[in-house]
Amino acid sequence: MSAPAPVDEAREEEHRAERSAPSALLRTGLQRYAILIVFAIMVAVFGVDLPSTFLSIGNLSNILGSQAVLFILVMAVLLPTVVGDFVDLSLGSSLGLSAMTLAVLNVQHGWPVLLACLAGIGAAVCVGLVNVFFVVFFDNDPFIVTLGTMTIVQGVIYIVSGSNSVGIVSTNLSNWIFTDEFLSIPLEFYYGLAIFLVVWYVLSFTPTGQKALVIGQSREVARLSGVRVNRQRAWAYIIGAAIAAIAGIAYAGTNGTVDPTAGSTLILPAYAAVFLGATAIKPGRINALGALIAVYFLATGTAGLELLGAQTYFQQIFYGAALVAAITIPKVNRERFFKRRRAA
Amino acid sequence: MPVTDSGTPDDSDKGVSLREPPAPGEQALAPQTGAPPALEVRGISKDFGSNRALDQVDLRIGDGEVVGLLGQNGSGKSTLVKILAGVYDPEPGGRLFVGGEEVALPLAPGQASEIGLSFVYQNLALAGGLSVLENLTLGQRIGGGLSSWAPINWIAEHRAGAAVLHRYDVKLDLDRLAVDLAPVDQARLAIVRAAEDLRRYRTRSGYKHSVLVLDEPTVFLPEEEVDRLFDLIRTVVAEGAAVLFISHDLAAVRAITDRIVVLRDGRVVGEEVTAAIHEDRLVDLIVGAPARTGESAQPETAPVEDQQAVALTVAAMESVGDPVAAGENVAAQHLTDERLHDLSFEIGAGEILGVAGLIGSGAEDLPYLLFGARPDSFGTLRLGAETIDVGRLSPARSVRERVALVPADRAVLGLSQSLTLWENIVMLVEDEHYRGGVFHRAELVALAREAIDRFLIRPPRARNPMSTFSGGNQQKALLAKWLLARPRLLLLHEPTQGVDVGARRDIYRFVQSAAALHHMAVLWVTTEFGELAEVCDRVIVVTQGRHTATLVGEELTEEAISAAALRQTREDR
Repeated sequence: MSAPAPVDEAREEEHRAERSAPSALLRTGLQRYAILIVFAIMVAVFGVDLPSTFLSIGNLSNILGSQAVLFILVMAVLLPTVVGDFVDLSLGSSLGLSAMTLAVLNVQHGWPVLLACLAGIGAAVCVGLVNVFFVVFFDNDPFIVTLGTMTIVQGVIYIVSGSNSVGIVSTNLSNWIFTDEFLSIPLEFYYGLAIFLVVWYVLSFTPTGQKALVIGQSREVARLSGVRVNRQRAWAYIIGAAIAAIAGIAYAGTNGTVDPTAGSTLILPAYAAVFLGATAIKPGRINALGALIAVYFLATGTAGLELLGAQTYFQQIFYGAALVAAITIPKVNRERFFKRRRAA
Repeated sequence: MPVTDSGTPDDSDKGVSLREPPAPGEQALAPQTGAPPALEVRGISKDFGSNRALDQVDLRIGDGEVVGLLGQNGSGKSTLVKILAGVYDPEPGGRLFVGGEEVALPLAPGQASEIGLSFVYQNLALAGGLSVLENLTLGQRIGGGLSSWAPINWIAEHRAGAAVLHRYDVKLDLDRLAVDLAPVDQARLAIVRAAEDLRRYRTRSGYKHSVLVLDEPTVFLPEEEVDRLFDLIRTVVAEGAAVLFISHDLAAVRAITDRIVVLRDGRVVGEEVTAAIHEDRLVDLIVGAPARTGESAQPETAPVEDQQAVALTVAAMESVGDPVAAGENVAAQHLTDERLHDLSFEIGAGEILGVAGLIGSGAEDLPYLLFGARPDSFGTLRLGAETIDVGRLSPARSVRERVALVPADRAVLGLSQSLTLWENIVMLVEDEHYRGGVFHRAELVALAREAIDRFLIRPPRARNPMSTFSGGNQQKALLAKWLLARPRLLLLHEPTQGVDVGARRDIYRFVQSAAALHHMAVLWVTTEFGELAEVCDRVIVVTQGRHTATLVGEELTEEAISAAALRQTREDR
C-alpha cells in the first residue's frame, strides 16, 4: 500500500548521506577532538598566566597524582555505564566501604595490610553482587536499586567505623601508593594507568568489549544476536565494584586516615568525567580513552583555577559547567544550526 | 481552509456547520429512505507517489447501521481510516458529509472528534499504567475542554465512571490498572470510552449522528471473547451511534455487520447486505476474480543495471559457496504457545517454506518461537540429526546452532541504529577475528565492505551510523549480518516490510541464492501473500494457530493463498 513512499524516502536519504559526507567528516572530527583542543587552549592560557607555578614538574605531579583515586573510580563507573546501566550510584559507597574495611581491620584489629586490602575488595564485591541480584536478576531500574544500596552501604560504613575517621593505616600501604614515586609521580597514578589499559583493551580491542557496546546501545538487538546480555551486565557490576574497591585502597593509602564520607563526594565527579568522556574520541559512546582525557582535563582546570587563587568550590562549578557544555554544544551545532540553514 | 457549501459560512472555520438539529423521527434507520446518512464520503482518492492507494471511493453509513469494511492488506482500508482521522490529506475532489452536512476536506488532526467521529485502533491507545477510571476520563482532561486547574472530585468522578460503564452494561473495576485487564476487557474499555465521547458529542451538539470506527478490534482476541465485544457494539448502536467495522476476519464481520463494503486495490468492488451474501462470494470479492482461474500477477522486473548487479552478486556467492555443506532438513513439531496449537512442518535443505496467516493467526509467532525468543512455548525443533526442545531454546543457543532470525521490527530488534554499518554486519562473526589477544578490526571492516558490495547496500559507507540508511538498505544489512554467520535455518518475519521495490527484488534473490547455494532451510513468514507466491517453494497456511492448508506448484498464487487464509478463519465457530 505504501510501497512507493519508501522508494522516495530511500533515494532522498541516499542523496542526503552522500552530499553531506565531507562536512559531516569535519563535524565529527571537530567533535571528536574538541575536548583536546579546549584542553590545549586551557593549558596555554594557564601557562602564559602562571609560567612558574602551572608549568612546573611539581604541578604536573600534583595533577596526575592527586586525581588517581578519582581516575580509578572512573574506570569502575565506566563498566556498568558501557552496558547501558547508566547509573551505579553505589560505586562511591563501595569505594568508602572498601577503604573503611581496610582501615578498621588494619588499625583496630591488627590485620596485615594485604589481607585487609583483600577483605576490602571482598566487601565491595558483595555490594556488586547485591546490585546484580536486584538489577539484573529482578530486572529493576538500576538508578533506584543503587540509590538504595548506596544508602545502605553508607549506613554500614557508619556502623563499622562508629561514625569516626579511622587511621592511621600501615605506612607500608602509604609508601606503595602515595609516598613512593616514579618519575616524580606517585605510584598510584601508574596503578590507575594499568587499570585503564586493561579496561581500554577489553572494551576497545576484544569481541567482549564490542558485545558490551551492542548491549549498551541496543539491548534487544544484542539479545536476539545471541549475546548473553545478563551475564555481561552482571560482570560489569561485579568488576566495577572490585575496581571501586581498589580506588578505596588508593584512597586509604593516600590519606592515611579514612573518613566515613570518603566515596560519596567522588561519585558525581566520576560520572561527570565518564559522560564528558563520551563526547570525545568516539562521540556518543562511553569510552575509556575519552574518560581518561576528561578526568585530567577537569583536574588540570581545577588545578589551574586553584593556582590562580580561586576557592575550591569553583572546582564544582567548573565540573558541572564543563559537563553540561560538553553534551550541549554538539547538539546546538548539529541540530539547531543545520536545521535553520536547511530551512532557509 | 475551503469554505463549505452550507449556509452558515461563519462557522466554516471549524469545518462544521451548526444547523438546527433535525426533529426526532426525521431520520430513519436505513440510509435508503432519504434521511441523511451519518457519514458519507464521495469520490475520495489518495495517491502515494505514483501509486493510487484509494481511487474514487464512495461509502455511506446510515444512522444505527453497522457497516463492515473488508479488504486485504494494501486494499486501502487503513488509508481511508487515516483520511477520516485527519492523518492523511486526500486528493482534491473528494467530499465528506456528516449527517447530511458537507465538511471541508482535508480534516485537521483532532477535528474528527468535533464532527462526531471516534476511532478505536488495534492498539487501543489505553494508558496501561492508569486505572480504568482515569482512562475513561483521560480524553476529557487532555484537550477535552476541561481546565487543567479545575479541581478533580474523585468521588463524583467515580460515580460518573460507574454510570458510564453501567450504561454500556460493562462490568469493570474502576480502580484496576488498564494493563491488568484481560485483552477483551481492554478492548471493551477502549470502545466504551470512544462511544462515550460520541454520546457527549451528540448531547452537546444536539445532532443524532455519530460514527464509531473500529479498526481491526478483534485481531488479538480469543474466539470465545469476541461475542462479548459484539454485545457491547450492539449496545453502542442502540445508544445511537453508527459503526464502521474494519477487519479481514470474515466470521466477525458476518456476525456483527448489517452491510459489507469490500475494497480491493483502492476501489470499492462490492457492497452487499450481510444477510444476503455467501462467504465464497465474499472471498472472491476480496481477493479478486483470478482466485478461480489461478492466474498470478505479472512479475515486476527490476531495472537492467540492477539485474546485472544481482547476477554478479549471485555469481560471487557461487564462487564462495562451500560445497562441503550438504545441508540439513529441518523439522518443527508440535509447536504450541498462546496462539499456536500443535503446529508441525518440515523444511528441506535449500527449501524456502512460506507461512501465510492473517494477523493474530499465530503465524507471526513462529520465527521468534523457533529462535527461542518467546517464553512459554513448547515443541521440538530438529536440525539435521539434532533435536532441540523449543521451550529450552534461548537466542544464544540458537546462534550457536546457527539458526538466524530476521525480525520484522528491524530498526529496534534487528540492528543497532547507533552503531555503524560495518559493526552491525560483522556482529556475529567477531569472535573468529580475535586471535592471540589481537582483535583484527581491519579484517572485519574488509569483510563488511565485501558484504556491502555483495548485498548492494547503498550508500556503501561502512562507517556511517546504521540510522542514516533507508529501510531497504537496513534490511539488506540485516540479511548480510545473518548470512555471514552461515545459518542452517533462516527465519524471516516480514522481510520486505517498508522496503522499496528495488531492494525487495534484491532481497528475494539473495535469500533464494543463499538457500540454493548453501542448502539453507528458510522459513518466510509474512502477510504479503503475493511475495510468498513469488519466492517460496511451498506455502503452509496457518489459521487460528493451526496448519490448515498446504499449497505447492500450480496452487501457489497470491489469490489462492489469500483465499485459504481468509476462508478458514473461525470456520470452527
